[in-house]
Amino acid sequence: MIRKEIVLPAPREEVWEALTEPERLEDWFANDVELDLRPGGGASFRWSNGEERHATVIDVEYERRLAFEWDDEGEVAFTLDDDVDGTRLTVEESSPTWSTALDLQASALALV
Amino acid sequence: MSDPLNLVFGALADPSRRQVIGYLSTRGTATATELTGELPMTRQAVAKHLATLADAGLVEGERQGRETRYKLTRAGTEWDDRLDALRRHLQRR
Repeated sequence: MIRKEIVLPAPREEVWEALTEPERLEDWFANDVELDLRPGGGASFRWSNGEERHATVIDVEYERRLAFEWDDEGEVAFTLDDDVDGTRLTVEESSPTWSTALDLQASALALV
Repeated sequence: MSDPLNLVFGALADPSRRQVIGYLSTRGTATATELTGELPMTRQAVAKHLATLADAGLVEGERQGRETRYKLTRAGTEWDDRLDALRRHLQRR
């Protein structure tokens, strides 16, 4: 599993909108976005290079947590927490095929 | 041997291939020619090791002119770019 954390200079409400409103996602995540924001709802992301990915929403906790499952592989979860400088956003992505390989790669590196 | 884990363990079992991984980890990227100059192996051996590591998903190559430049696979680097884009998006508003 990979985990990334970033502190964003905006309140949680604002970050939540940037993560969940298609027209805002289209400004930073993909070029064309459809999102049905409820568990079981579908999401489609299209990029200008022709790439297209689909996902299913698995968890929505208003202004707190959004999780979805890629139809091809893996899960992504966003968690929002208040921070003195704005909002701490944590992204976790798991993917069965690469996670074990990369864990082992890291172990091998520790032994080189 | 098509099981992904077999490929990974097989690739990491060889000390020379672990050396290649160690080198890529320190230098970031390398071509087969550069690795041949640095490691006690023939170019042919280096190329074979790189192919095995790539099959296991541990390294990835990008064609650059006549050579291929290799780096360690690092899952999640796309999130660095995406989160950077999100930060810029929030700053624009």
